[in-house]
Amino acid sequence: MAETAIVAQGLRKHYGDTIAVDGIDLEVAAHSIYALLGPNGAGKTTTINMLTTLVPPSAGSAQVAGFDIVKAADRVRERIGVTFQDIVLDRDLTGRQLLDIHGRLYRQSAAERRKRMADLVDLVQLNDVIDRRVNTYSGGMKRRLELARGLMTDPEVLFLDEPTQGLDPQNRVGIWEYVRRLNKERGLTVLLTTHYMDEAEEVAHQVGIIDHGKLIVSGTPASLVSNEGGDLLRITASGDLEAAAACFRQLPVVQSAEVSPSNKQIEVLLEHANKHLAALLAASAQIDFQIEEILLSRPTLADVFLRYTGRALRD
Amino acid sequence: MHATFTIWSKHMAKFVRNGEESVGLALQSVLWVVLFGVGMRGMVGEINGSDYMSYVLPGIIALSALGGAAGGGIILLDERLRGIMKEYLVAPIPRLSILLGNAASTATKSLLQALVMLIAGLLMGAQLSFNPLGWLGAIVLLIIFAIGFAGLALAVASVSRTIMGYHGMIFLFNIPLLFASNALYPIDVLPSWMRWIVLVNPTTYLIDAIRTLAFGSPASLSLWLSFSVISIFTVISMWLALIAFKRSVRM
Repeated sequence: MAETAIVAQGLRKHYGDTIAVDGIDLEVAAHSIYALLGPNGAGKTTTINMLTTLVPPSAGSAQVAGFDIVKAADRVRERIGVTFQDIVLDRDLTGRQLLDIHGRLYRQSAAERRKRMADLVDLVQLNDVIDRRVNTYSGGMKRRLELARGLMTDPEVLFLDEPTQGLDPQNRVGIWEYVRRLNKERGLTVLLTTHYMDEAEEVAHQVGIIDHGKLIVSGTPASLVSNEGGDLLRITASGDLEAAAACFRQLPVVQSAEVSPSNKQIEVLLEHANKHLAALLAASAQIDFQIEEILLSRPTLADVFLRYTGRALRD
Repeated sequence: MHATFTIWSKHMAKFVRNGEESVGLALQSVLWVVLFGVGMRGMVGEINGSDYMSYVLPGIIALSALGGAAGGGIILLDERLRGIMKEYLVAPIPRLSILLGNAASTATKSLLQALVMLIAGLLMGAQLSFNPLGWLGAIVLLIIFAIGFAGLALAVASVSRTIMGYHGMIFLFNIPLLFASNALYPIDVLPSWMRWIVLVNPTTYLIDAIRTLAFGSPASLSLWLSFSVISIFTVISMWLALIAFKRSVRM
């Protein structure tokens, strides 16, 4: 596979006058995990639908696993696995039947299907229920079964549209664990969407924030978060706070240090607070100043997300 | 081809497993034959030299194939509305194979249903002519016919937005197909304006051919004509279904 697993140039989709995706350029490196973030209705699902050949783009082009999504749609389909935003499982079949039918659609031999099923059912921990009908599964089991189905044909690129939506914390952690493991052990490329920023920050190598059909910003979670500015230290103390704040301001790493209006705290803004904490405390040693509590808060991907997409509610 | 077979076997597995559907279909068939056939027989007696049960059995079989086709459309619509279709759509398989898989399972169910009806009909006194080649011909025609009407139902199912909307459309088709045909009464008893409608109804050709091939009534339409009409109808309806389906999934 090429070094980039997914490339999109000016990808656009409109339905009548409604523009769902408004010219997206995207690059996802092979063997990486890319998280597409955005508010509801931002165009994430439409983008995934185009990249998975479900809907043709109105304009622009894209290649997935080295093949054009329109001109070589079948080549793309052979190489991808997909789980959709809604759970789409035939409830009247057993988990095993469902996986088996999926493998047959992709012309897998019976032996190949048996082997894949055994491995995957192990991976997603559905051994006990795989011969039960899907309508007896919990939401988490259904999601894990869908993940197994998406992986059944050993895809090069896996698309996961909100894979942890509505799941309990155990299942969410589980799903991400599988994804990370597959990425690490098999070099699987993953493009996912999620609303859980902490999960994206933890699991993705690259994130892209999309809003109003456009990709606004992309990069590694760390680089995006560090653009958000430094860490904030809240030091609760008694004594001469003004003098302490002035002393902190002398240090080159400190961006600002102010006494809070409540007059009990000093708020210090600096980068990599955890590394400079000792120097900070040493500097304040000469002053009459007793620290009671130190709180460190750092910006998160959620802050980045809100800054780029605003706080207004979406419909 | 493998995808058609896979989808067919999935539908059949669900059919066998789903007692409501399979037992319901079998009972329906028996009820049709027993209640309708027996009731009408008391009134009609004989048509064109054959007893009414032998006369009406091919008609009832054809009509139940229509009902079966409507059921096939429901399956497609259900898979579409619930999103299950997406699994097929991102798989490297031709769109047509999705429709053919559905039509094939519909035809299989119709065939099973026809078998149940045939047995019930024979028990009720219908007279099968001994003509194995004719039986084979009748079976082939029934399969082509069932696929054809499955095609029409699939076309409707591709454009319907709700199950209710689909039912409304299908009933619109089913009533003229049922009564404007030779299923229940011979063409000669009809006024000439209605005879024209009956002659553009593919169901008429199937029923006439089955009567000739399996029950030994004299053909009122030539077998080759019947065969051609049914085949052309089936090709056209599957083609319509494919156009409607492709349009609906490109959204």
